[in-house]
Amino acid sequence: MTDAGAFTNDWMELQRKYWEGWTALGRQAGNTEAALTNPWEAALDHWWKAVSPGTPDLSRDFMTKIMDQGKSFFAMADGFTKNLAGMPGSGSAATDGWGALTKTLEDMQKTFTSGFQQDGNEASRRIAGFWEMPYDNWQRMMSSMSLMPGDVLRNMPHNKVKDGLNQALSAPGLGYTREEQSQYQDLIRRGIEYQKALQEYLHFFSDLGAKSVARMRSFIETRDKPIDSARALYDSWVTCCEEVYAEEVKTPDYARVSGQLVNAQMAVKQRMAIMVDEALGGMNMPTRSELRTLQDRLQETRREYKALRREVEMLKRELGTAAPRPALVNVSSQAAAPKAAVAPAVTPKPAAPRRAPVARKTTPKAPTKK
Amino acid sequence: MFTIDIRPDKLSEEMLDYSRKLGQGMDNLINAGPIDTGVSPREVVYAEDKLVLYRYTTPEGVTPRPVPLLIVYALVNRPYMTDIQENRSTIKGLLATGQDVYLIDWGYPDQADRSLTLDDYINGYIDRCVDHIRETHGVDKINVLGICQGGAFSLCYTSLHAGKVQNLVTMVTPVDFQTPDNLLSAWVQHIDIDLAVDTMGNIPGELLNWTFLSLKPFSLTGQKYVNMVDVLGDQDQLKNFLRMEKWIFDSPDQAGETFRQFIKGFYQNNAFINGGFKIGGQEVALKNVTCPILNIYALQDHLVPPDASRALKGRTGSADYTELAFPGGHIGIYVSGKAQKEVTPAIGNWLNDRS
Repeated sequence: MTDAGAFTNDWMELQRKYWEGWTALGRQAGNTEAALTNPWEAALDHWWKAVSPGTPDLSRDFMTKIMDQGKSFFAMADGFTKNLAGMPGSGSAATDGWGALTKTLEDMQKTFTSGFQQDGNEASRRIAGFWEMPYDNWQRMMSSMSLMPGDVLRNMPHNKVKDGLNQALSAPGLGYTREEQSQYQDLIRRGIEYQKALQEYLHFFSDLGAKSVARMRSFIETRDKPIDSARALYDSWVTCCEEVYAEEVKTPDYARVSGQLVNAQMAVKQRMAIMVDEALGGMNMPTRSELRTLQDRLQETRREYKALRREVEMLKRELGTAAPRPALVNVSSQAAAPKAAVAPAVTPKPAAPRRAPVARKTTPKAPTKK
Repeated sequence: MFTIDIRPDKLSEEMLDYSRKLGQGMDNLINAGPIDTGVSPREVVYAEDKLVLYRYTTPEGVTPRPVPLLIVYALVNRPYMTDIQENRSTIKGLLATGQDVYLIDWGYPDQADRSLTLDDYINGYIDRCVDHIRETHGVDKINVLGICQGGAFSLCYTSLHAGKVQNLVTMVTPVDFQTPDNLLSAWVQHIDIDLAVDTMGNIPGELLNWTFLSLKPFSLTGQKYVNMVDVLGDQDQLKNFLRMEKWIFDSPDQAGETFRQFIKGFYQNNAFINGGFKIGGQEVALKNVTCPILNIYALQDHLVPPDASRALKGRTGSADYTELAFPGGHIGIYVSGKAQKEVTPAIGNWLNDRS
């Protein structure tokens, strides 16, 4: 057992101080610089940095996930309430609810249309960052399939140099290493295609961000019952984002864009695998391609072996040299064999030769390809 | 009317409450211990390659029915979902109705399993498991319950080995893979499956996770963790959450050749509907499925839309076809309290009437 109570104690003490200060600030409705940063998110960060080194790895990963989402939730609350009159940091411009909300939504729209680059309202940028989630998921998946963290191909130049590079890459290789040159040319070409596909994918989502802001506005405008908690506000934002997302990703355009992204990624990996194989071959080491040939042949042999074994069992039975098979019974007149109560963890029995009551075609089949 | 009414003091209180739960949850999380899955006693009765066939122990006081039941789970994710915890176990519910339950665990394919085909899975592994059970019980036919992709496998199997299946239950099983509301199907149409399989060999579980999470990214990778804070304070609820979390991300890689055949044949060419699809040289035809069928689908299923499952109606050769619509999602159909009360007993009763 860990002395986990220490986490709670430190945490609660820190929080108590934080919220005392925060509430006092709220009462004053002042415009201090300190209030311009998101206090909840900062508090979470501060606490997590202090306690996370002492947590077990598994809990840490999981907790980090929760912390990240908690921060999004706090950023959401901050972004939507910051401009409301009476809130700390609201400023003099925020005089009424609609005015404040309109400002927040406009800030978010700007953030989306500027591709997150514009110097603007930090809180809006954080809320808009919610729409980076689909790409974040992609990045994590890429990372899990590669030795390199994240999406290493993301930042390779492509737009500005694309045309010139394409031309250069079209030049035939020369001399003794011409094949190798051609492989590298192809790898770069595929890398460029991947970035193009990725840009299109990201662009698709930036449009959706702007649409979800409009959806949120309409949701708030048409609502009868007030939203009276940060959680309800957060849930409404998730609902709006999810609705817009669902409408758009069922379009043929999204299917094309996401399919293109996966295909482009596979194309890069394929070329890299070929090049790695060639390098391994050069070092007189087994290659993936050779292993696959062996796997295919082995599987085919096993298929034949299993079929033949079945056939032998049948022949034995026909010749009467096998143990007699239990007579088939009318299922309605006999209960099943009794079972012994056995604990869940037992050693698997080896696959004993089985008798085949029904013959199957045993002709060996070629492995199905494409 | 301005519909945002969040007062500063209430907001502070809410945030403090959230923070308190997070702090307390940390204690529970650290002391959560290992995440166990699979609660019902069972024994291994057959094993082949990475496949393991389990037989579950009939509870005391229950007389097992004469026709055993084989559960065929999907290759995607792990079958312990059917027995995930004491009060949420489809298997437990089935045992209680007198079913003699067997379950296939496919294991975790690695690169050596890359060239396994649908023929190997359906005419090989499943058929040998069925034969094992038939011989053990001395019966000609057994009952089969297929789940999700396992349901599609079960339909294929029954079509090819009709003489060995007494009753077939399909749960959240896609039949028409190209209904307009099937997002997975729409997305996969543009993917070059040959390129993916030729490149990767097996298809990594991470790629499947990404695909499934992409169906609802904000809820599944964001909101879920914010809401989770509400259960952090309760050790039991937290464990339930962590079990589900483990299951969701416990995604075996997919044997490459099987994945190629399944996606191209079913998702891209809609094999059950369009026909002409062969496994081991024999055509899979739903009309060959003549046994009684219970087809169960979930009304809020975002992975296998109801219409994808309902398409089975009228397409088989069965004269005894029953449908059961469950008001829940793809996962809720096994783990929700409502499912324990409604779905599992319904399966048991339906089978008992026919076995």
